[in-house]
Amino acid sequence: MLTRSLKIGIVCPYSWDTPGGVQNHIRDLAEFLIASGHEVSVLAPAIDESNLPNYVVHAGKPISIPYNGAVARVLFGPVAFARVRQWISQGDFDLLHLHEPAIPSISLLSCWAADGPMVGTFHAAAKRQKIIFAIGPILEPAIEKLSARIAVSEAARLTLTDHLDTDAIIIPNGIYASRYAHGRREEKWSGNTIGFIGRFEEPRKGLSVLVEALPVIARFAPDVKVFVAGPGDPDEVIESIDPQLRHRFEFLGKISEEEKADFMSSVSVYVAPNTGGESFGIILAEALAGGACVVASDIPAFDDLLGHGQFGALFESESPTELAKVVIELLRDKEKRQTLSAAGRTHAQKFDWAVVAQQIYSVYEMSIVGSEKVRLASDTRPWNRFLNKDDK
Amino acid sequence: MTRWFFLLLMLLISTWYLTFTATRLDRLHHRVETSWANLDVLLQKRAAVALEIAHSDIADPASSVLLTAAAYQARDADIQNRSQAESGLSGALGLLLEDSEHLETAADSALLTELSALTDKIRVAIAIHTDAVARTQLVRGKFIVRLFRLAGTAPLPITYEFEADVL
Repeated sequence: MLTRSLKIGIVCPYSWDTPGGVQNHIRDLAEFLIASGHEVSVLAPAIDESNLPNYVVHAGKPISIPYNGAVARVLFGPVAFARVRQWISQGDFDLLHLHEPAIPSISLLSCWAADGPMVGTFHAAAKRQKIIFAIGPILEPAIEKLSARIAVSEAARLTLTDHLDTDAIIIPNGIYASRYAHGRREEKWSGNTIGFIGRFEEPRKGLSVLVEALPVIARFAPDVKVFVAGPGDPDEVIESIDPQLRHRFEFLGKISEEEKADFMSSVSVYVAPNTGGESFGIILAEALAGGACVVASDIPAFDDLLGHGQFGALFESESPTELAKVVIELLRDKEKRQTLSAAGRTHAQKFDWAVVAQQIYSVYEMSIVGSEKVRLASDTRPWNRFLNKDDK
Repeated sequence: MTRWFFLLLMLLISTWYLTFTATRLDRLHHRVETSWANLDVLLQKRAAVALEIAHSDIADPASSVLLTAAAYQARDADIQNRSQAESGLSGALGLLLEDSEHLETAADSALLTELSALTDKIRVAIAIHTDAVARTQLVRGKFIVRLFRLAGTAPLPITYEFEADVL
């Protein structure tokens, strides 16, 4: 599929060793591109330098700043800028792929420092902020240097058009669909069960909505059980649950990829009650690929991913009663569950890396045409050109 | 003394800003040209594939005539009629592909795969080109740019109306 071997530089704005959707996406993309015969170098900040894969170049230690309602571990400043410039000038790249170039990070610095074919991927979805009037004019000339922009979802695209007044091509995040296709049905997780995966301590993951909905669900399905997987300390959550219902919750801790596949094939209903801050919803794509019957809140990203209810059921976000209603209906109707999960599984193939990477590669190809290699922008500035004339 | 220093600083800053904007505009003009050249090549290729399809077994005589006419029109169109001609070709191809899904021999499906790969690329190329054009027009509309004639003699890029949904 990939015709020519390219040298690609990818910039990851967030700390490589903290878990996150953007980091996972970059890791999978880099590994997929390397496997298809390209040379890839990823520039990323990291807290611990020693454990990086060989394609990652360490950019420095990240600093924690509050951004978009969460703490982001990013990196910027003069030292980082020098590091970025060095990486670009030594890399001799055909193309740079910058992730989240609109937040203060090494992605933005790279965009500023480099000249040549550049592609930017925008992951975040946020409501329009007033602050953009102040920072927009500064960002604009930099963002404009990107030859093509990719948004991971309709929500991310709207954020981009709202904030920076430019359009983007939508290419979803990728998953390895085949890894989830052959999950075994585990007896312990099947029956009248509800599954939940995520960092449940974060309020925006919405576990509390499910906790509040459970009394109603339990009234109609007395043997219902909820399995919560994901890293975190369950004690605080357990305390918030009605003592009579506590035994219905089981916390599994962090589970492996294989267990995840089994988990998705086993539970009757997979619930994603996220209240917001989600731009794509990779876990839903994985759940669909694993053949789960998905129930999700109707935030824009999920509504979009589930085809407005075609590939999974939706409920009004933050409403426990609506969630209970949808879950009860599905627990009672096996046929409907099967139809939804079959439709979902087919739909999930669209997010497979084989498809997604091909789309990303098309954008690379179109950006490279007619341009030279990536070089430092300072080399092409008029006065530098003028000054260097005598040397040549 | 301070006043002279201040004036000098102002002068330096405005010079920097002007060269900065000129570089920015130069980059945009360059992108408009390269993205158009790229899109043009892809569209030409598509016309060639369309002709091949017209001469293959995929097309019945009637659609063959329609497709050949549309492909030649797209090839020969001058710059003003280009987008209309290309949309016409998209329409003709769309019509044909709609009811040709059931009859696929090996050679034909190779042609159709080539066409769909080309269509994907064209879609991206159109997005890149229209974006470059829109950006250039926006920056050229700025007061400073018009006042100092930073665009020089470069022609103002024209917006092409591509019907992306037909592709």
